[in-house]
Amino acid sequence: MEMTQQQANAEAQRCLYCSDAPCRDACPAHIDIPTYIAMIRSGNVRGAAEVVKTSNALANVCGKICPEEVFCQTACTRMKLDAPILIRELHYFATRSEARSGFSARRTPPPATHTAAVIGGGPAGLGCAFELSKLGISVTLFDAKEPGGVPRATIPSFRLTESELGDDLRFLADAYTVRRETVTPARLSSLRKEFDAVYVSIGLGLDRTLGLKGEHLQGVLPVLPFLESAKRGTAAVPDRVVIVGGGNVSLDAASTAKRLGAASVTLIYRRGEREMKVWKSELEEARRQGVEIRFMTVPVEIAGTESVVGLLCRHTKLSAEKDASGRPIPVDVKGSEFMIRAECVIIAVGQVIGSDLAREFKLTKKGYIAVNGEFQTSVRGVFAGGDAVAGEGTIVQSVAHGKLAARAMQRFLHDTRRASRPGHV
Amino acid sequence: MDETKSNTTPGELPLYPQRDLSYEFLGLRFENPFILAAAPSTDNLEMVRRAFRAGWAGAILKTTSVEGTRVDLAYPMMTTFTHEGKRLFGMGNIDLISEHHIDKVEANVRQLKKEFPGKIVGASIMAGKKEDWQSLVVRLTKAGVDLIECSFSCPQGNIGENPGKMLAQSISATETTARWVKEAAGRVPVSIKITPHVTDIVDVANAVKRSGADALTASNSIQALMGVDIRSFVPYPQLQGRSSYSGLTGPAIKPITLRTIAEIARHVEIPILGTGGASTWSDAVEFMAVGAGVVQYCTAVMHRGFRIIDDLTSGMAHYLDEMHFGSVTDIHRKALPHLADHDALPRHTVRSTIHEPLCIGCEACYLACFDGAHMAIDRGPGRVPKVDWNRCVGCGLCQHVCPVDGCIEMTLHEN
Ligand SMILES: Cc1cc2nc3c(=O)[nH]c(=O)nc-3n(C[C@H](O)[C@H](O)[C@H](O)COP(=O)(O)OP(=O)(O)OC[C@H]3O[C@@H](n4cnc5c(N)ncnc54)[C@H](O)[C@@H]3O)c2cc1C
Ligand SMILES: Cc1cc2nc3c(=O)[nH]c(=O)nc-3n(C[C@H](O)[C@H](O)[C@H](O)COP(=O)(O)O)c2cc1C
Ligand code: SF4
Repeated sequence: MEMTQQQANAEAQRCLYCSDAPCRDACPAHIDIPTYIAMIRSGNVRGAAEVVKTSNALANVCGKICPEEVFCQTACTRMKLDAPILIRELHYFATRSEARSGFSARRTPPPATHTAAVIGGGPAGLGCAFELSKLGISVTLFDAKEPGGVPRATIPSFRLTESELGDDLRFLADAYTVRRETVTPARLSSLRKEFDAVYVSIGLGLDRTLGLKGEHLQGVLPVLPFLESAKRGTAAVPDRVVIVGGGNVSLDAASTAKRLGAASVTLIYRRGEREMKVWKSELEEARRQGVEIRFMTVPVEIAGTESVVGLLCRHTKLSAEKDASGRPIPVDVKGSEFMIRAECVIIAVGQVIGSDLAREFKLTKKGYIAVNGEFQTSVRGVFAGGDAVAGEGTIVQSVAHGKLAARAMQRFLHDTRRASRPGHV
Repeated sequence: MDETKSNTTPGELPLYPQRDLSYEFLGLRFENPFILAAAPSTDNLEMVRRAFRAGWAGAILKTTSVEGTRVDLAYPMMTTFTHEGKRLFGMGNIDLISEHHIDKVEANVRQLKKEFPGKIVGASIMAGKKEDWQSLVVRLTKAGVDLIECSFSCPQGNIGENPGKMLAQSISATETTARWVKEAAGRVPVSIKITPHVTDIVDVANAVKRSGADALTASNSIQALMGVDIRSFVPYPQLQGRSSYSGLTGPAIKPITLRTIAEIARHVEIPILGTGGASTWSDAVEFMAVGAGVVQYCTAVMHRGFRIIDDLTSGMAHYLDEMHFGSVTDIHRKALPHLADHDALPRHTVRSTIHEPLCIGCEACYLACFDGAHMAIDRGPGRVPKVDWNRCVGCGLCQHVCPVDGCIEMTLHEN
């Protein structure tokens, strides 16, 4: 919900304007939070929007769905007095109001000295392209689909509206030229010759599978295509849906299934509520929609002959041992099998890189593209960032990644030019 | 300390053009209308440097005097006037003039003009004898000062023939002293910082004008007693069981300053530097609309730091765009034609109108009118009050106690 002017003012008045504010460090894009809040308070809402957009190219999107509860607001000093400032909602207020009354004119970017290709128009690619354009590097943005990445194609419209994303894309549009094209490994080598530098931000996009019996049955859906079709308006759900997951994406799927008319939606998660690392707003939404969450439950087998008829599950208990995330490892309770009847099973257990471009690069153990401290991949002149490098992350982290990589690309281009200058040693 | 961090975003590439806010005032070029008032923030070279780098257009260095003037400070000197939880809604101080005498201030002026030739470096002075006033002026003008401000209004005692009384409270002393200063200053503009604590501010302004001084700085802090500890009965600030009157500054005194500036501007043709209660860009708009040519900030900076300049310049730039004004000078005196004496005000019938869809049912207006006005509001169904236009006189109290922006409006009715 967008705040009214009066609400925004009252909230802004709670801000303590900490010197060297911790919220700003906690925001991956390092938005100058106290300054924009002071601007809202003084009635300079347009100025506030400008401060936000100077640091975060996807200001409206993040204003709406950035998980502030894991970033800026965790660091708010005011929390020690009473409750944190509603930082995200305040910047949403500012940028929405700017979008409505017309974007501020931007300064003319410096004349282009270099060219860059950005592959993948999600948050990381957009963040990088925008920063490159500010640096005087002319950008061509390649995407198999319309730019916008997961926020456009996948994140449910009840959380992020077309106009919120649209406002950001409209704002960014003149920073790059779009080419709608799936970049293949062969095309990548030609792009390396055509452009001075290349940024790869292809995201993840492919669902992990469970490796269980019955996963091929009709009615078993990987979560990403399910959410994408729901967003396009082409998804239909049967009466009973079970979702296997435990992350934010599974909650999106559960809420979506409910909204599409499923009578019962059950989400199963192998650990307890305390171990469920999800954003409060997502959990609340799912519960509001009437989603049933069964904790301490793992899938054993998907039942059915041609189509799904149910999901065979087993109870778990938490062992004393902890995994890498610091959470106790769940172990199956023998003989505790039970069946959840359902005509549809949605699998939301994480993602890997889907594009075959990934094969061109050295990968990390987890299968993401490996980069050094300067965001360089194993291929010279090719940089990478976003979820394809960091794994499942967030929009603001991806934007920040793109921004940093753009600076690294500029340093690289600067050094290359120096090195190639005749007589330079 | 890492000074870049607290002001602008480190390393963030600028996305928006910087709007030119510069204009001429007193024959000087101000890069924007925001300058620092004579106060602790301007008493230290390093602090003024940081202010200039942050974007302030100028500073009046804290008041100095001749060598040998005793500056006997007492601490603590600051008090907050906290209103309903809002700290520094007003601020009290029992500060005196700078402990730095003219040698140091002169050196600071030289250094600042060297490092920041485009910034306005003013200096504030205070003395007793003619020779002292004039020697201060001569030394500062030689050092390259852009503007001399004379404190005729320090509320914490004064140096002069009449201790306990401010110079600006005497019309004749004001005129004589201002003339001495202007004589010595030659082409350098001189502004006399006055006090609103006078019977008729216009008389003071006329005296300054007659003296030949170039401008007025209006006004200064307001004499105040900041409060009393109701258990120990020691007033604030507390200095081992004793206290004294303070100079009140900050948002609480803004309406007093606005009136002072307006009153001068309506009756005397003389440039005005506004000071007293400005904390935002819109305050500056108001100060300029009633006649100020430039606006000084003190308490707001002491509260939130030099970084407030980011919002001051950005807010002012957007305001000018919104109003289709080419320069801040377009604001100048815009409010004055709307000011009239009470007997010249229109006598129309106005009534309170409650926009019912906005009403939240707190009945604050009902109570205020019932106990504080004309018992003209009745409790309505569903807690939405009803104004009885036969009893309503249109005083406007209800509108101002209403917690919802825009819910109650005073509407004009046929006579
Ligand atoms: C359901 C869901 C909900 C989420 N909710 C939130 C949320 O509320 N808040 C939040 O902060 N984050 C959320 N996230 C995470 C966030 O969306 C991602 O972290 C972010 O989108 C990653 O950005 P990216 O640019 O790295 O990749 P992506 O957004 O995945 O974009 C990659 C782009 O690359 C294109 N591409 C891929 N391969 C090629 C190729 N070979 N040639 C051309 N183009 C190609 C794709 O078409 C796509 O547009 C959510 C994620 C999901 C899946
Ligand atoms: C601590 C303190 C010291 C001050 N010292 C001086 C001074 O030396 N000379 C002077 O002319 N004004 C002095 N002032 C007054 C300020 O210049 C300014 O006019 C006043 O604070 C009102 O403005 P404000 O509401 O923006 O603070 C002082 C104010 C404060 C708070
Ligand atoms: S503000 Fe600074 S000088 Fe004043 S009491 Fe506090 S620490 Fe000391």
